[in-house]
Amino acid sequence: MSAATKNNEEDRVGDVGWLERVEHTADEGVVVHAGGLRELFERAAWGMFACIADMERVRPHREVPVAVDAADREALLVQWLSELNRIHQTDGMLFCEFSVSELDDHRLRAAVRGEPMDPRRHDLFLEIKGVTYHGLAIEETSGGWTARILFDV
Amino acid sequence: MTNDRPDMQQITEYLWEIPPTGKMRVPGRIYTTKRMLSKILADQSTRQVANVAELPGIVRASLAMPDIHWGYGFPIGGIAAFDVDEGVVSPGGVGYDINCGVRLMAAGITADELAGRLPLLVDRIFETVPCGVGAGSDLDLSPADLAGVARDGARWALARELAEPADLECTEENGCMPDADPEQVSREALDRGRKQMGTLGSGNHFLEIQRVAEIYDAEAAEVLGLFPGQVTVTIHCGSRGFGHQICSDYIPRMDGAARKHGIELPDRQLACAPVRSPEGQAYLGAMRCAVNYAFANRQVIAHRVRQAFAQVLGTSAGQIALRTIYEVAHNIAKYETHCIDGVDRKLCVHRKGATRAFAGSRAEVPEMYRRIGQPVLIPGDMGRYSYVLTGTQRAMDETFGSTCHGAGRAMSRHGARKAARGRDITAELKRKGILIRSAGRRTLEEEIPEAYKDVSCVVDACERAGISRNVAQLRPLACIKG
Repeated sequence: MSAATKNNEEDRVGDVGWLERVEHTADEGVVVHAGGLRELFERAAWGMFACIADMERVRPHREVPVAVDAADREALLVQWLSELNRIHQTDGMLFCEFSVSELDDHRLRAAVRGEPMDPRRHDLFLEIKGVTYHGLAIEETSGGWTARILFDV
Repeated sequence: MTNDRPDMQQITEYLWEIPPTGKMRVPGRIYTTKRMLSKILADQSTRQVANVAELPGIVRASLAMPDIHWGYGFPIGGIAAFDVDEGVVSPGGVGYDINCGVRLMAAGITADELAGRLPLLVDRIFETVPCGVGAGSDLDLSPADLAGVARDGARWALARELAEPADLECTEENGCMPDADPEQVSREALDRGRKQMGTLGSGNHFLEIQRVAEIYDAEAAEVLGLFPGQVTVTIHCGSRGFGHQICSDYIPRMDGAARKHGIELPDRQLACAPVRSPEGQAYLGAMRCAVNYAFANRQVIAHRVRQAFAQVLGTSAGQIALRTIYEVAHNIAKYETHCIDGVDRKLCVHRKGATRAFAGSRAEVPEMYRRIGQPVLIPGDMGRYSYVLTGTQRAMDETFGSTCHGAGRAMSRHGARKAARGRDITAELKRKGILIRSAGRRTLEEEIPEAYKDVSCVVDACERAGISRNVAQLRPLACIKG
């Protein structure tokens, strides 16, 4: 996904065609659509950070490599998002660009770009405690792929 | 995952049952009222109660309290007890915020005596207790400190003069859960916990200054040292990123363990392992570390609140008179002995959004409270009220000594933001006499009072069902939100 796409005004949760909000009483979740699986994983990460902060103000200044392995594709999606959330919370980073370079059902390698959190400049919305398996789904559709992910907030 | 709503039948005026069908090993039982049931049936939470009933070794029933709502895997407001020899332990049955809980402290002054100094006091607390998304602590814990916190909980704070011995006596588990095993905690969890000690967090966590508005049980209130008009402080938070990471680390491990041990799961978030298995024991060892982190976290916050009281009101009002009434956990799994069909059995009791509510006959209840039963603290929303309850023998007999934990949300966060659009929530609450300090406008919108069910209905349903007794109602004077 290019930086140019993300900088568009309509690229906010609820306003982009490929990202929908899940209505859940206690928690927060997203449904993501994409043409291919790599793009699906990239967009899921973008969707998670769009729940955390206003993405308009996050700049791709620093690159961080990410490597995750898991038992299957669904677990890999949870692990990928969990790892990004861990880095966000531990190192105080916000990410806005996600490039998945390797992906199969058990292994993901990526480079993500963002910048350190600055409460004076960044509009922070919420803290994600965990990425859940509840209702988790990755499905192939006529137009590509769809994933549904619920976060504990 | 099966999402269809299971059949239910009414057993008593305040209890509904899901009879065991399909792979359910025990019934599901939901404590509620007819009026509240319609809202409960609006989401998938009753299916979640039935799903939990399928897990191996579950004893008596999969239970839900009146504040039940749709969670992830286990319902929020659920209780499940498993035989330690034949049953399982599940990180999803505890949740990401391990030992999320509530501390109640009472001051020796009344709201009238505090009146003019309240804004200064709230500002002082808001300055000294970090809160909100991304707010870190000024305490940067060394690896040795973190291991100490994980092992010793509130005792770690006591050793650093951040607690008084009476605080620990009036905390569930005396502020330190034994058999915590820091070796089972990942480096990632340790990193996440390093700079969050003494922080409130965001979401539904809060710190509130309140007044005792109503007393329902004069004898119990006297034993607790509560009187009308008295100033109290409630702290609601948990184990922060340390606990969140431990849960995140263990769910995939338990997912593998469930497959290895041939456990069929109706929902992957119910991932679990036999209590006695290496995976089960590793999780319990790590989970107890997070339980202890949360005890220390609330204690450090309590200490800072005391300092703020002392600075603003003078030493006598702060340091000495801000006394811990009790502290409870509402996301936890622990070994407890319960009498099942006349036989004492050791169980692994999971409470996810439910509070222990032991009768006074239990040794776990502080001696000073044995006459009245264990104090139970039920936070409400920031515009209405919170409650102090006590545990009962009926809870011991029916709910593994458990009751509700809070109001439960009535609106999604998105729905609440829509309802709050164009409104000045701080000004609205100020008109009701409630001061608000908030780190983020958005959290405040998501936490508007009407986003929650009326907690008085929840505690009344529990009292009528006999699983807890109402003692006092606390109304907010000021609320600090993350």
